[in-house]
Amino acid sequence: MAQRLLLRRFLVSVISRKPSQGWWPPLTSRALQTPGGLTVTPNPARTIYTTRISLTTFNIQDGPDFQDRVVNSETPVVVDFHAQWCGPCKILGPRLEKMVAKQHGKVVMAKVDIDDHTDLAIEYEVSAVPTVLAMKNGDVVDKFVGIKDEDQLEAFLKKLIG
Amino acid sequence: MAAMAAALRGLGGRFRWRTPAVAGGVRGAAQGAVAGQWDYDLLVIGGGSGGLACAKEAAQLGRKVAVVDYVEPSPRGTRWGLGGTCVNVGCIPKKLMHQAALLGGLIRDAPHYGWEVAQPVPHDWRKMAEAVQNHVKSLNWGHRVQLHDRKVKYFNVKAGFVDEHTVRGVAKGGKEILLSADHIVIATGGRPRYPAHIEGALEYGITSDDIFWLKESPGKTLVVGASYVALECAGFLTGIGLDTTVMMRSIPLRGFDQQMSSLVTEHMASHGTRFLRGCTPSQVRRLPDGQLQVTWEDHTTGKEGTGTFNTVLWAVGRVPDTRSLNLEKAGVDTSPSTQKILVDSREATSVPHIYAIGDVVEGRPELTPTAVMAGRLLAQRLFGGSSDLMDYDKVPTTVFTPLEYGCVGLSEEEAVARHGQERVEVYHAHYKPLEFTVPGRDASQCYVKMVCLREPPQLVLGLHFLGPNAGEVTQGFALGIKCGASYVQVMQTVGIHPTCSEEVVKLRISKRSGLDPTVTGC
Repeated sequence: MAQRLLLRRFLVSVISRKPSQGWWPPLTSRALQTPGGLTVTPNPARTIYTTRISLTTFNIQDGPDFQDRVVNSETPVVVDFHAQWCGPCKILGPRLEKMVAKQHGKVVMAKVDIDDHTDLAIEYEVSAVPTVLAMKNGDVVDKFVGIKDEDQLEAFLKKLIG
Repeated sequence: MAAMAAALRGLGGRFRWRTPAVAGGVRGAAQGAVAGQWDYDLLVIGGGSGGLACAKEAAQLGRKVAVVDYVEPSPRGTRWGLGGTCVNVGCIPKKLMHQAALLGGLIRDAPHYGWEVAQPVPHDWRKMAEAVQNHVKSLNWGHRVQLHDRKVKYFNVKAGFVDEHTVRGVAKGGKEILLSADHIVIATGGRPRYPAHIEGALEYGITSDDIFWLKESPGKTLVVGASYVALECAGFLTGIGLDTTVMMRSIPLRGFDQQMSSLVTEHMASHGTRFLRGCTPSQVRRLPDGQLQVTWEDHTTGKEGTGTFNTVLWAVGRVPDTRSLNLEKAGVDTSPSTQKILVDSREATSVPHIYAIGDVVEGRPELTPTAVMAGRLLAQRLFGGSSDLMDYDKVPTTVFTPLEYGCVGLSEEEAVARHGQERVEVYHAHYKPLEFTVPGRDASQCYVKMVCLREPPQLVLGLHFLGPNAGEVTQGFALGIKCGASYVQVMQTVGIHPTCSEEVVKLRISKRSGLDPTVTGC
């Protein structure tokens, strides 16, 4: 299942013309951006390394996207509710992404900008940000608010994976 | 019901039409249940200070409440989220930028106190603006969450009356909804006025709606106006190091005590703000290099003047946000001169079940705390069985100019007009804040005066304080004055030392005595 997920993501990334924010970590986007703004297909060897980091993290586009990729996901998902105006979110985000990537696909991460997806954030009772939910089989099984260090995040993820 | 209301309205207006709103209710509906024939028990138009306070209070009393809020972008294109003027383009960003400016002064003082700070320290507008804007956005979100937690329905739509119980809301994409309610509260506030008769004003100038949301520094700025908006903005722009000019037609801070107002501008003038008094702009043009050229008429000399600026900020008054409400469809009366909504002491408009609070109302202070309190009291009267009215007497406020001016009660001229010169006693003092001594700061305008009745026990009519932290100083004294404090009681109050606040309770010299009001230290 994880491999099918990886393949699907890879195909989507290859045919994608618009790099969405957060899809590619900054390192790779510099390598990929052409002056025209098109995403150049990266070489396969590099792709596998970079796509592993980025495949485990994705931005939610809308409600149905959340339903599809989070609620209906067979893999456990951590949902990072964040905002542009939130300082701590900018610290937690990359840290969480890194720890999620270390779990080798056993868990994936969905990022939700609460200003873009207010209804979704309110539905999941997000009041302060960052709020991180641990979701398994469509249910919220764990949650935390605010910044955590890498060890705490590791423990949080390990508990989710089970 | 609508027909009855219309007939009764014909009887000439402001009588008491009370829909029984006792808990448990005439309609027999349970608390929090559907409001009967209407979608909502209460519909609030405007999600600002007054509107949100009223909505949340009503929801807490178990009613079905909805808030509609919409921000029409400024001519320059600035828009913002839920929370109204105070949160987005008023009090909050203003006070934060004022703080940024004050810090500049403290940084300059610091070496005197032993800090080894290399001078001059540059200021980065972008960093300040981003921090301020981020905070405001967090407040937008906070309000959103609060409404949800209090079970208030929120619609981001531009509202207009269809009839006296129904409002049509239009969303950004054009989608329309119809909302009906038993009671409606209009709390749409106001927006800055553009002097449309001045050529180039609309195309090239900005207002307070825009200044706090600028991503780039406004640079050399001309602020046109003499209001507290004008002076506060000019104040913090000067404080962060920008070349700032204030152009005033006549007097500063109309409506405020004029002696204090002069001291405010005197302080600003001696601390880097340029003033063009007795001048009115006639034209704004854009030069090839992108700068703005302003032409004005100097009324004292009769001559024309010109100047070049990066930014022109209009602060020439605010207008009520009522035009798109279709008030005539509901039958709500407005003042012919100001277009503000006319209400009685219960905040009721010419239509019995329609109320109005906040800046949009004629004859009310344009302040957040009064709108909030009025909103809450209104909700309590409508749904909580209360009969308490909002008291607009002795409302304290503070102008956050570089040297802050806090006041409560009557100005000296108002007191004299009301009671006569002979029956009024004014105690006053110039003082020097202790913190100013070491760095050698100029305290010439640090001044406090108390306006009292001359007759014992000398009731305090008004207090005026010019100095650092004026808001913090004035708040406590507002309580005393609200309780009817007399000058005798003031004299009996021991001061806290060393503070600027204690100067209020140490006032002994009257204007009438002619003695020198300069206080010397301990």
